[in-house]
Amino acid sequence: MRRLSARMTLSRRRAYEGVAFVAPWLVGFLAFMAFPLAYSFYMSFTNVKVGPTSIELKWKGVGNYVYAFLSDNVFPVELMSFFQQSLLIVPIIVVFSLIVGLMLNSETWGRPLFRAVFFLPVIFSTSQVVLSLFNRGAGRIAFLDRFSVAEIVNTSLPDRWAGPVLAVLDRITLVLWYSGVQILLVLAALKTINRTVYEAAAIDGAGRWEVFWKITLPALTPFIVLNTVYTIVDLSTYPFNPILESIRRSMFDVRTGMGYAAAQGWTYFSIVLLVLAAVYAFGMRNVWRQE
Amino acid sequence: MERRQRAMHSDSGSIAVGLPLRKTVVNSLLRLKHWLLGTGMRTGVAGKALVTLLLIDIGFVYLYPVLYMVSTMMMTLNDLVDPTVIWVPTEICLENISIAFIGMEYMQGLAQSALVSIVGAVAQAFTCALAGYGLSRYHFRGRNLVFAMVLLTFIVPPQTIIIPLFLLNRHLGWLNTNWALVVPEMFGLGLKGALFVIIYRQFFLGLPSSLDEAARLDGAGGFAVFTRVMLPISKPAILVVSLFSVVWHWNDYYLPTMLVSDQKKWSLVRRLHGLGAALDEIYGVNEYGMSRFSEPIEMAGAFLVILPILLLYLIAQRWFTESIERTGLVE
Repeated sequence: MRRLSARMTLSRRRAYEGVAFVAPWLVGFLAFMAFPLAYSFYMSFTNVKVGPTSIELKWKGVGNYVYAFLSDNVFPVELMSFFQQSLLIVPIIVVFSLIVGLMLNSETWGRPLFRAVFFLPVIFSTSQVVLSLFNRGAGRIAFLDRFSVAEIVNTSLPDRWAGPVLAVLDRITLVLWYSGVQILLVLAALKTINRTVYEAAAIDGAGRWEVFWKITLPALTPFIVLNTVYTIVDLSTYPFNPILESIRRSMFDVRTGMGYAAAQGWTYFSIVLLVLAAVYAFGMRNVWRQE
Repeated sequence: MERRQRAMHSDSGSIAVGLPLRKTVVNSLLRLKHWLLGTGMRTGVAGKALVTLLLIDIGFVYLYPVLYMVSTMMMTLNDLVDPTVIWVPTEICLENISIAFIGMEYMQGLAQSALVSIVGAVAQAFTCALAGYGLSRYHFRGRNLVFAMVLLTFIVPPQTIIIPLFLLNRHLGWLNTNWALVVPEMFGLGLKGALFVIIYRQFFLGLPSSLDEAARLDGAGGFAVFTRVMLPISKPAILVVSLFSVVWHWNDYYLPTMLVSDQKKWSLVRRLHGLGAALDEIYGVNEYGMSRFSEPIEMAGAFLVILPILLLYLIAQRWFTESIERTGLVE
């Protein structure tokens, strides 16, 4: 009995130790994430008046949300176009990073050099430097102009989609620039596949095409889900994100104010959260698992 | 491979005794096919060439803006309007760089950017490791809840919480000071802090727990195990986290713009934006909202902003491979 209680206290002491390790982060979370999150949620239901030193919140219920969807004629449109663009950008980035990762992992000449080049986007995909480059048209691909892709898209797609498609095509290089981290993830994922599996497949006479579909791709599925989630999160701070600009504008606009900006932020965040949950649930159900 | 070569030898030996010539032709054709298309899991030359070509193409997409930047910043106004000058300037003009250098008050910005990036990275590299270690090695009630909080922090866009963050910093008197940009990092939050916690957790989960158990048997406490045993073998993770943290802090535009408006404390990235706006005012803008003539100066500014990070990457890349190899030995 005594020994049992000694063990209990030991495991409890261990647990306290674990809590101690996590404690600094928890304090930070409460101060710099939980509190701001709760406060901005509260703010989104109020009318905020900010003085030089004071702040005054006046409850107004769901007024801000109603305004966002019924009276604001810019925000819902921007929201729509952002999600339409994301619907195109996310698959492009995920598939592109998968292909590049596979190519970088295969036997080619000058692999170290290529890896160095493909790491560049991780370093430079900064808001401002890249923005100023792409504002100068450095992000356009010449064949889009040469084959008048714009016309083709405009005539063959409904109006609702032609705009987003063109916007994405216009920044296609920038989109590719945003797959730096994803390429690294694919490379790391490929390292997790056991070499012996490939050798066994080769002995059984499997070709490379079969091996890709039956071994490599199934083993990569969890990482593809991870890549999709990461891409969606990353896109929410994308420099061309129109929502970001919209929220900033209403923050300093006297007519709308910070309460409205908070409501916009929450509307946006809840939609992103829903999309993430859906992607995760769908992805995890279809992930390949080793028996 | 060797076996195949030996087979070839015996084939050529059989020609000597007069076997049909057709067989050698077929054999050499087969050898050509294997060389080009590969055998089994081995990549042939044709496949290699195709992949290399594709990689060169895509690599060019990545290099293009950088090349464009370097080429344009060296151009004089004459080169800029001369349609025959496309990539290579007729003379190397370094004046743009010095204009951008002075226009951005580069040294002041460099000091600011370096301070925030380095302090932020060092803080995150340590505190995120603490949290990651606690989440990977200890069992306590609410651990999953804490991890869910980490995931939540990872996906909340900064725009959603920026207003309370602004008000909080104003209340604490940290607005326009660097505290606003580094204190959250000291708790393992701040810019992508949650992502680093996740990286560390994953890394520690991959290390055998016999390591800490052995140290514990030698009488080390939890914190001593962490600092004396775990941290020294976590160099690859620390390197990856610090490198990413430095780069992301260096490039961050949103938080510094919102929380620090004092011009003297602008980061380099913020100054580049200011430089662009100032140049547009001087040169005027066309219908696209930009001026062709200020372009070389702006490109020079962009180059100056990314130069320190580029240098850091060139140095760190060597450490990168080195530390990865070292962990390979440990395993």
